[in-house]
Amino acid sequence: MAAHPKSDLPQGTLDLLIMQVVAPEPMHGYAIAQRLKLLSRDVVQVTQGTLYPALHRLENRGFLSADWKPSDTGRDAKFYKLTRKGRAHLEAEAASWERLTGAIATILGAAKGEAS
Amino acid sequence: MTWWRRVFNRNSLESQLDVELRDHFDRLVRDFVAQGHSDTEARRLARLEFGGMDQVKEMCRDARGTRWVDETAQDVRYGLRGFRKNPGFTIVAIVTLAIGVGASLAIFNLVDALLLRPLPVPNPSELITFTRWIGNNPSESFSYPQVRELAERRDLFASLSGVGTEIVYVGPPEALEPAGAAWVSGRYFDTMGITPFAGRLLNASDDERGAPVAAVISHDYWQRRFGGERDVLGRQVLIEGQQVPIVGITRAGFNGAVIGQSADITLAFNAKPVLQPENESFLSADARWILMLARPAAGLSRDQLQARLDVVWADLIARTIPAGMSPEARQRTLSMQVHADPGRAGASRLRRELRQPLVVAMGLVTLVLLIACVNVANLLLARGAGRAREVALRLALGAGRARIVRQRLVEGIMLAAAGTAVGVLIGWAASTGLVGLIAERVAGPGDSVLALDVAPNWRLLAVCAMVVVTTTIVFGLLPALRASKIAPGAVANSGRVAESHTRFGAALIVAQVSLSLLLVIGAGLFTRTLHNLRTLDRGFSPGNVLLANYDPRRLGLSPPQLLSFSQSVLDTVSALPGVGAASIAAITPLQGGGMSTPMRVNGVMTEDEIYFNVIAPRFFEIVGTPLLAGRDLSPADDLNAPAVAVVNEAFVRTHLAGAQPLGQRVAYPGAQREMEIVGVVKDAVYETLRAAPPPTIYMSYLQSRGRPMTIVADATAPIAEVTSAIRAAVQPRVPASPMRIRTFAWQIENSLFQARLMRMLTAIFGGLALALAAIGVYGLMSYSVALRTREIGVRLALGARPSRVVRMVLGNALRMVTVGVIIGVPLALLVARLISRLIFGVTSTDPMTIASAIAILSCVGLASAAIPARRAAAVDPVTSIHVE
Repeated sequence: MAAHPKSDLPQGTLDLLIMQVVAPEPMHGYAIAQRLKLLSRDVVQVTQGTLYPALHRLENRGFLSADWKPSDTGRDAKFYKLTRKGRAHLEAEAASWERLTGAIATILGAAKGEAS
Repeated sequence: MTWWRRVFNRNSLESQLDVELRDHFDRLVRDFVAQGHSDTEARRLARLEFGGMDQVKEMCRDARGTRWVDETAQDVRYGLRGFRKNPGFTIVAIVTLAIGVGASLAIFNLVDALLLRPLPVPNPSELITFTRWIGNNPSESFSYPQVRELAERRDLFASLSGVGTEIVYVGPPEALEPAGAAWVSGRYFDTMGITPFAGRLLNASDDERGAPVAAVISHDYWQRRFGGERDVLGRQVLIEGQQVPIVGITRAGFNGAVIGQSADITLAFNAKPVLQPENESFLSADARWILMLARPAAGLSRDQLQARLDVVWADLIARTIPAGMSPEARQRTLSMQVHADPGRAGASRLRRELRQPLVVAMGLVTLVLLIACVNVANLLLARGAGRAREVALRLALGAGRARIVRQRLVEGIMLAAAGTAVGVLIGWAASTGLVGLIAERVAGPGDSVLALDVAPNWRLLAVCAMVVVTTTIVFGLLPALRASKIAPGAVANSGRVAESHTRFGAALIVAQVSLSLLLVIGAGLFTRTLHNLRTLDRGFSPGNVLLANYDPRRLGLSPPQLLSFSQSVLDTVSALPGVGAASIAAITPLQGGGMSTPMRVNGVMTEDEIYFNVIAPRFFEIVGTPLLAGRDLSPADDLNAPAVAVVNEAFVRTHLAGAQPLGQRVAYPGAQREMEIVGVVKDAVYETLRAAPPPTIYMSYLQSRGRPMTIVADATAPIAEVTSAIRAAVQPRVPASPMRIRTFAWQIENSLFQARLMRMLTAIFGGLALALAAIGVYGLMSYSVALRTREIGVRLALGARPSRVVRMVLGNALRMVTVGVIIGVPLALLVARLISRLIFGVTSTDPMTIASAIAILSCVGLASAAIPARRAAAVDPVTSIHVE
């Protein structure tokens, strides 16, 4: 396992990341976990104990839909797909996230500027 | 997936979850193998990375949002297991709650049906009814001219109408069926504000003299009698022997505006003389028998209406006074006041008789419900104290307090639900039974059938359920909360909790004893009341006397013909085998109602009304009223002979100042003929047992107009045989009106209806309260004995005598009873004033009754403590000390 220091995800961002990951194509849970690990370069730790409850919650809220389909192992796996409702939600959330991070970055930048 | 489907697809969700997580795990293993690890090593690494499979599953279950359902189901199963393990507690608790709820609903249903439930019409709160007062005597009855006059006052009333109920007979003479009829004025349905289900309703033109008779039937009657056939409109039906067309059907649920007497058939007042020619006079100003309902003119409150009504009333009354009225009667009529009352729940005559008993009964059942709740509270506390250790154990094992509290909540609700459910059944059955009792009462000469819908009122049911649920929850929770505050380690010794429970439990028992005392005293007072009324010297004895009513008026006979018809019927009955002697009377004692008027005594008008009766010879002999002086009326006292009368002692005392009565003269107001007093009889009760026999004049029926009479026959053969013999002999001679035959004894018992009802209710509720108190004392004493087993064992081991232990336990019980009595007696004295008008021959603070009630309660208390006391005395010192 990686030796980098790991940070906790801010509340609610895991949902955003998951939706972003499955946006291009349907994926099963393991693939989502791998992709998250890859994309975040092992900085963000997502255990199975947080991933699966999050997946199920998103499914219950109708942002993801799930299908049992044959996978590369030859057995059926549960593939999650972003629904139309989920896509709309993702866009809204992503936009507000960007606004927020932008604002924070500005503030931090300004603070640095003053300090130096 | 919706929440509901997640709840119900629990199993398939679980297996899917399992497959999904296992798939993830397998892929991890595969990847580790691909990285060159050995199979075993790969599995180890995968397990390391994946974490505990079960933890992950638990978190996924949390995400499902249905966890509390699963947990509640667990709580329910756990609760059921607990109840099954302790059936004694469960049954006693449920039965106790069921009794409390059942008793309350039995009365509340009746109160709701009779007093509270609004009529099923638009804006029932607008409706008003009317009471008229002459002096202190209220009555709901008005005359037809009064209704018509008032209905014209459009400045006061948007709509006013009258309604009078009666039983009419439908069908051919050989197959008459009774049906509830409402005679109504033209604007009745307009006042109600309802529309027909089919056809049309009656209107003002139907209530004009000479208008064709038309009948509106209720939806209920349509279903019952006509099987809901569509073509019933326009069909002719035989009502009181005449063809009447059905013109409309009212909507389902509306059974007339008079509560307790459903209107199967509604007819206009002016149809009455057509269908019942003998009742022509019912539309005159003398006949007051109509209930009034109205809606005030727009913008007029009930108070404003009352104010204006007061102004116009005297004038209005003056105009409806019949021409030939005597000055005295005229004065009395003019002194009449009228009150506008809320009419939301319709009109009713029953209410006046039943309101007070029902209000008292409501108080009684509230006490029973409270006692039941106290009892269950005690049971729950005892059970809770016994479970302190269990709570501690669960806390120690990591259960949250919330979880424990919720489990108790679920248990409380389960108990309450079971108790309430059984209680609803008991209540419904009991109120149906009560309605049956009242119906029997009403089915007297008043000619009506009681129809009360005692379906549970959901609001009242909700109140009862709330009380019960609150009790079970609060007292189920208290011990759990207390126990859960104690550090788990310290709970190995649960004595502290238990001890504080017994103190609180004792307080509850004290409360229970004082409430029970109220009910037992009440039962005592009403038992004495009934006994007093039954053993009162009434001045007559019912013996084997039969009373047979028949109505010859529809035969179309003139007054002299009626007299000879009555005489021939009397002769027929007298000659029947099994009839010792027969007479006739216009009024039989305690039939409910009577005749009275101011009279002229020796040419001077009396101020008071004097009761009178019209009888045939041998009446006194048959009903057992002794003749004290002079002679009985004889067959010779007919229209050709001088008019005569018999009076009672009270008359002699009051109106003749005790002077020698024979030969003195009395007369009707305005009558030419004076009657000579020829005999004096012992005082006999007339209208009610609760009043002293009033001054009474008995006149000869042979010198009267032939009004409807009751045959009074002394049966010397079995009652049933004589009844059918009289019916067989007389009924064919009056084919159009069914005879009513009953025993004099029944009539007397029936007049005691209110006293019997109160005795029955207080006896039942008092008995229930005693039983509950006994259970309470028994439960608490058993519990405290069980708790003190070791202490008792030590005492016995140190040489205490078993009898001393018994005395100790009984002493504890007696102490609780004593404190309960000390609180209960002043409470009873306070409350007893409320029932002083319902009791008779005994004061509400009767020391004998109170003393007996205290004695009974003490005995019950001691008896129920006896078993635990014996158990305590039988404690084996050795085993008891080894218990822990």
